[in-house]
Amino acid sequence: MRKGPPVTDFDPGRRRFLGNLGLAGLGALGAGSLLSACASSASGPAKGDSSGAVTLQSNLSSPQAKTAIEKLIETFNKQGKGTATVNTIASETFRTQLPTYLTSANPPDVYTWYAGSVANDYASKGLLLDVSDVWQGLGEYPQSLRTLSTDATGKQVFVPMTNYWWGFFYRKSNFAKWGVQEPKTWADFLALCETLKGKGVPPIGIGLGDTPWVASAWFDYLNIRINGAPFHRDLLAGRQRFDDPKVKAVFTRWREVLPYFDPKGKAYPFQEATTALLAGKTGMFLIGTFFADAAPKDALGDLDFFRFPIIDPAVPVAEEAPTDGFFASAKTRNPDGTKALLTYFTTAEAQEEYVRSSSGIVLPVHPKAKAADSPLVSKGKAMLASAAELTQFFNRDSSDALQPTADTALTKFMDKPDQIDAILREWQAGAEKVFKG
Amino acid sequence: MSVSTIAETAGTETSTVAGTPRRRRRSQRLSPLLVAFVLVPFAVESIWVFWPALQGFWFSLTSWDGQTPPEFIGIDNYAELAGDATFRGALVNTVIWLVLFGGLSVVGGFGMALLLQRERRGVGFYRAALFTPVVFSLVVTALVWRVFYQPDGVADQILRAVGLEHLVRAWLADPQTALYAVILPALWRQIGYVMVLFLAGLKAIDPALHEAARVDGANGWQRLWRVTIPQLKGVNAVVLSVIVIDSLRSFDIVWSLTRAGPYHSSELLSTYMYSAAFQSLRLGYASAIAVVIFVLALAVILGYLVRAFREEA
Repeated sequence: MRKGPPVTDFDPGRRRFLGNLGLAGLGALGAGSLLSACASSASGPAKGDSSGAVTLQSNLSSPQAKTAIEKLIETFNKQGKGTATVNTIASETFRTQLPTYLTSANPPDVYTWYAGSVANDYASKGLLLDVSDVWQGLGEYPQSLRTLSTDATGKQVFVPMTNYWWGFFYRKSNFAKWGVQEPKTWADFLALCETLKGKGVPPIGIGLGDTPWVASAWFDYLNIRINGAPFHRDLLAGRQRFDDPKVKAVFTRWREVLPYFDPKGKAYPFQEATTALLAGKTGMFLIGTFFADAAPKDALGDLDFFRFPIIDPAVPVAEEAPTDGFFASAKTRNPDGTKALLTYFTTAEAQEEYVRSSSGIVLPVHPKAKAADSPLVSKGKAMLASAAELTQFFNRDSSDALQPTADTALTKFMDKPDQIDAILREWQAGAEKVFKG
Repeated sequence: MSVSTIAETAGTETSTVAGTPRRRRRSQRLSPLLVAFVLVPFAVESIWVFWPALQGFWFSLTSWDGQTPPEFIGIDNYAELAGDATFRGALVNTVIWLVLFGGLSVVGGFGMALLLQRERRGVGFYRAALFTPVVFSLVVTALVWRVFYQPDGVADQILRAVGLEHLVRAWLADPQTALYAVILPALWRQIGYVMVLFLAGLKAIDPALHEAARVDGANGWQRLWRVTIPQLKGVNAVVLSVIVIDSLRSFDIVWSLTRAGPYHSSELLSTYMYSAAFQSLRLGYASAIAVVIFVLALAVILGYLVRAFREEA
């Protein structure tokens, strides 16, 4: 979930396979075979030997991102520091199969994935290669990225390549037509919503059908604006409770803007919410830059965004900046080749090449690498640079397993805000199960 | 599989005739080819079906995230199931699904089969039309129906056209309607399938029985209840098994239309098992749900078979 350069969540091939094979016949029989396939599967496309090619297992399956990563590998192979092959998997399949890849007897060497808790979770199980060697050459990288890539025992397990940002996106032409400005504070924001509503436009677009995780952006942002990023991280790590009054305060704020949400938003996915925004059927949309993949090229120039409004000026400003990159299997047969490839990904040249050939509006993490030359990207970069703290996203700051509990709680809240106390109790109970494992 | 069962159960005469040569063969030595035909599939089946199924039972007694080795925890998973509100909701929804999807597809399929059993001009077209949805993958079906249900989609337009716009709602995103909005496309597909099963059964009924009944003065209704339905006993067993199994494994249509949402309102046992296994990575707990599904399927089908055998004895 929640996406490097994200690809559509819908993957008929896999669904069908699971539906027809996995759950076929007598449910238990099918499920048994599926589950044990995870346990005993030793098959993997990787053929690691100490001198052979390094396999990169990639979830970058959207056409441009796929081309971009293939180009990078091609360039790496030409440099003569080693050879690598890339194996692209549909992103949803990749996500569900990642534990299987990592635990198989002969795993692929390098994987695209996300920084933060989600990587540390694998590191704590001893599945990830120590890449501290690679980090020794990265003196220029900011400390925040190093911390993000470090596991609980103090070694680096992750190599970042790009990140992106979230914000309220809107069409400049529409804002001009409606005669409205970007809001700075919560009060401005409420006034803007009221104005748009008065003009008959649903002010806030959202897309929760199929992609309910989009609602987590609202929770993340309200929480880091009201309670601050440290509390947010503690909450997502299980050190705070979801039924805490501080969490309830988040929903009290959220309730103030609930009437301004597009009522159709709960029925369609974020891709269609993007279409609605571009067509002027909604005013603005809190989303990550990956949404632009679903936007026609001619609309890109008309897009702008503003940061999530400040609620409490005393809370240090934090922004969501999900970081994408790579980690490697602890069982790789070719650690030197693997590290050579990872080192290549950390260079400004590689990151610039990736940004050039991929479509998404992404920022290279190398301090000296140039991002794409557009006002939108410069604005996003400046916003992240000015933030006191960066968070990743709900699932990346916690785990993929905690995400469904948030989806249930948040979509239910948006439907039945009166039941917030019960919803938070259920959420806490669900989260405890996940943390207990 | 179902087809061969129909042939066996419907053609009782054939099997008695075939009984004679079979008895003769038993006295001879077993042919190695025959042994191979039995043992090879059995071995394959053991590796791919029986053994994993047994493993599933074992996993249901463990706590396992798929990465670290499973850890034995006794019946904790089952104890947790008993107190899990989402599981109870999924169980209730599965029963609703079994009754509505199962019941209506039998009624609809049987009705269609009766209507379309006689060879008339154009009947092939109607049969084909009803069977067409079966050909589509359920995921494709879901895509079509999603367009139908989407905001301002076909469903909403029809309601507006006939002046019922107060009924318009987010069909798949409204917890009141989500489950039923998913049952409808599933039924749309299943009725054609059940119809074909019943058509095969109806074809196997000896027309002489109907003729005899007619000579004795039975009307159409009596012939349906006293001749057709009792003659379909063999097919009924097949249909029941198909319906129960299809109900309990219904997954793809639900997952592609609603992902069991919003907030578990269209959750079935099968979808809950999937999300427990592959989203929450609680494979032990998911195995426990799988065992419950297995027991449910077995109970319904065994219950029917025991009754059927008792009646025959």
